[in-house]
Amino acid sequence: MNRIPLRPLMIAAPLAALLAACGGGSDAPEGEEPAELELRHENFEAISDSFKTIRAQYEEGKETDIVMVAAAARDINERAAAIEDHFPEGSGRDAGWDTEALPTIWEKPAEFTAAQQKLLEESAKLLELAEAGDVAGAGEQVGPLGASCKNCHDTFRLDDD
Amino acid sequence: MLSRTVRIWDLPVRLTHWGFALIIPAMWYTGENGEWAWHFRLGLLLLGLLVFRIIWGFMGTETARFSSFVKGPLAVLRYLRGNHEDSATKGHNPLGAPSVLALLAAMLVQVGLGLFSGDPYDGATGPLNALVGVMTADTITELHEVFFYVVVALIAVHLAAIAFYTAVKKQKLVGAMVTGAGEKAPGVPDNTPAPWGRALVSLVIALAVVAWVWAGAPPLS
Repeated sequence: MNRIPLRPLMIAAPLAALLAACGGGSDAPEGEEPAELELRHENFEAISDSFKTIRAQYEEGKETDIVMVAAAARDINERAAAIEDHFPEGSGRDAGWDTEALPTIWEKPAEFTAAQQKLLEESAKLLELAEAGDVAGAGEQVGPLGASCKNCHDTFRLDDD
Repeated sequence: MLSRTVRIWDLPVRLTHWGFALIIPAMWYTGENGEWAWHFRLGLLLLGLLVFRIIWGFMGTETARFSSFVKGPLAVLRYLRGNHEDSATKGHNPLGAPSVLALLAAMLVQVGLGLFSGDPYDGATGPLNALVGVMTADTITELHEVFFYVVVALIAVHLAAIAFYTAVKKQKLVGAMVTGAGEKAPGVPDNTPAPWGRALVSLVIALAVVAWVWAGAPPLS
């Protein structure tokens, strides 16, 4: 029985699997990546960080710093307003870019705008409550704000679960 | 040189080993591509394999047991100085033993971090995510992403060592890990027979741990 061909194979198989997907970006389109990809990614990351700051203020056994909540809500509200400039035609996943932006963004522009509007409104509500020093009221607004993030992800961002 | 074929690795050791070799690249792929449902299933499978392998390290056959292959630093030094009696012994050599421990520990750390990772408002969460605060989960998620490089580095060392032993020392390490048997000097005894009852006990404990984690680690009393 000759086992020799099996040996390099057993080493090579997991390695090959590791390497195979490393070249995943090779089918990217010609030309420069639109600057909006980086801009919107940074913007959403910052929104996510601010939202985490807010949620951390409402964790069990924590005394809520409502000034911090207001600052983070203001940040989200301002960044929500910037989103509309971040999705030019041809900057989606279907154009070949390394992005989770689905074609539905451009297929259903009215719904995409409505989803942005929802984030603007919910963050504005939180900002208002937090600026008024209403700790409990602002706490109740955290859920709806989170839902407005999720709402958009469900329809316009690549499904990741 | 005289040699005879001896049993070296028991079936559970080989199955867990090749399980790791298949699951780790798959974990990387599913993680990179946001295939979270599969990432979680495979992660729990990996957790189960790790728990099984660690229990088997106390209850398994001779070459599976930590007590038989983990040697002190002096033994490692002696081995490095050229005291290689590789054909007169079987199982992990003194230098391979810490590598095995490091690989198991690194995988355990990586799986452990993954259980707490994620954000319920942004994608998926590990089964124990709700047990920690949002900022803690955020830090753990970043650690989970970075620590994978530690796992990869250890695997690279592992593969380089196998390549060295195969090419330079002409030892059929991979073949032995596949078939369980290898060529050794006459007088090297076979591995002890697998205690299947204890394998079953290890499996049941591993499955219980996985089920408990899957359920979000509810209090046990």
